[in-house]
Amino acid sequence: MIEIEARKKAASRTARLDAVFAALADPTRRAIIERLSRSEARVTEIAEPFDMSLNAVSKHIRVLEASGVIERHRQGRDHILSINTRSLDEVDGWILRMRGYWEERLDAMERLLGELKKDRLGPKDRKHGSR
Amino acid sequence: MVHGETTGPVVQVRRRVRASAEEIFELWTKPDLMARWMSPFPGAVDCKASCDFRPGGTFSLVMSSGQSSREVSGTYVQIDRPHKLVFTWTGPLTNHANTLVTLELNPRGDETDLVLTHERLPTPAILEGHTRGWGHILDHLADAASKDL
Repeated sequence: MIEIEARKKAASRTARLDAVFAALADPTRRAIIERLSRSEARVTEIAEPFDMSLNAVSKHIRVLEASGVIERHRQGRDHILSINTRSLDEVDGWILRMRGYWEERLDAMERLLGELKKDRLGPKDRKHGSR
Repeated sequence: MVHGETTGPVVQVRRRVRASAEEIFELWTKPDLMARWMSPFPGAVDCKASCDFRPGGTFSLVMSSGQSSREVSGTYVQIDRPHKLVFTWTGPLTNHANTLVTLELNPRGDETDLVLTHERLPTPAILEGHTRGWGHILDHLADAASKDL
């Protein structure tokens, strides 16, 4: 039972991360996030610098909302958008984990390259091989 | 980390390695050599690697240590010996999400600049809205596979 729960949790985390990564795969959406990382803003404020219709920008905003990267709350008649930093932390977490994994693997790869080199040179020439 | 120009967030590791591109390429593509460094388990590890080394071919790596065991697998997308290797990669570490690994090797005299890029690929559900990125990869895969035939 516990294992099934853990698997469900992992699956939903994967789905969430997938949605966040997909949301971040577009340059316009990344620019929107960058804007919101400075301060929260209204939809019209976000749309202003973009050379596209308000409707097109709204579509990108909806994708970002659906993925959980940004959140919307109302202030009187205005819709204010802000970043949900937790979702981006998950992305950073994934990147850090994978970077750690590859750094370790590449260390192991370099060690093996060293071993293979030594084997090839044989004990006689080892002095030249160990730079 | 989220402000790239054209791509989404990726993992990128660069290093200069004291070996030729050919020597490094061998380590990534020969099962008996892959088994000697790709396992993340410390100490005694039983690692079995197999691969069908051609674009569209698959590889798998089963690593076990004591009671735990894990498997990673993937499909070769592009093979440009000894400069570039692109393959999909999935396993417990990626939460079984589809990811893409690109290995680039640029010779620098006796040494080689290695650039490893690891990115997540959209799932089929997400694809419906965003077919461009993945579609490009699939096209590439199909091209590569048909060239091979």
